[in-house]
Amino acid sequence: MPVSLRESLQLVSDPKNLDATVEEVFKMMLGIDCRRDSQPAVIEPDSVTAVVGFGGLLSGACLFKSGNHTAMKIAAQMTGMEFTEVDDTVKDGIGEICNMLAGAWKGKVPDLAANCGLSIPAVITGRDYNLHVQAPEFKLVHSYRFGDASFDVTIICDGLQ
Amino acid sequence: MSEVRTLIVDDSSVMRKIVERALRQAGLETMVVHEAGSGVEGLDLLRAKQVDLILSDINMPSMDGLEFLRQLRAQNLAPGVPVVMITTESSEEHVKQAILAGAQGYIRKPFTAEQVKERVLPLIHAA
Repeated sequence: MPVSLRESLQLVSDPKNLDATVEEVFKMMLGIDCRRDSQPAVIEPDSVTAVVGFGGLLSGACLFKSGNHTAMKIAAQMTGMEFTEVDDTVKDGIGEICNMLAGAWKGKVPDLAANCGLSIPAVITGRDYNLHVQAPEFKLVHSYRFGDASFDVTIICDGLQ
Repeated sequence: MSEVRTLIVDDSSVMRKIVERALRQAGLETMVVHEAGSGVEGLDLLRAKQVDLILSDINMPSMDGLEFLRQLRAQNLAPGVPVVMITTESSEEHVKQAILAGAQGYIRKPFTAEQVKERVLPLIHAA
């Protein structure tokens, strides 16, 4: 029988799944207690955005965005190294964080886990850029904080079968 | 535990470091680590070096982890060496595909050192 995610839209778009995913990834991989913040993340002009695309029954993307300071802090926690600039290792680390967030988020809904593939992460750095998706099916934008660091995680769904 | 020669295949150098750290925390402090950034590199490395354990990511560009595993078995490289797939893909179907391709274990990212210990050490002891 063909699987449809449309019937489980409420479950797929449940904001609690995203919060649980972010807390789980940061706790397990970085040993960091990370909590959702009601205030928007403080993103410096120079920022890092990682994107992992979804394909299959759900099309869209998972985005991670932070300022350079937070990105370097996360990469330092992942590698045990110190960073003074957003180099290839920092970009690699942030891409992997986004990859794990995307995988763990879709893993919360069994039909989504089985019928939705992930792209290889892409990482964008620089300043004054925006990502725009026309009329998404749903969009979750949550801000999170640990210590003095903050970041945004966005789930965009632009198609659901 | 005697020195375990380990191959870690992942396109992310950061993930290779994290996997290595988790293995050391799991009790393999004295292991020798070989790293490959793709399935192709992993196969090349196995033609030149002997290993006791292989951990591979699945979602990689150029040659993914499942194809790496199929090639590894087809070319009879590292016979009898346990292979553990480490991936963000968590569905039963993905696990089934990995086992059918010849993997002995499966670890879902994110993971803890304790989970790595539970899934990897029994395979080394059994090999």
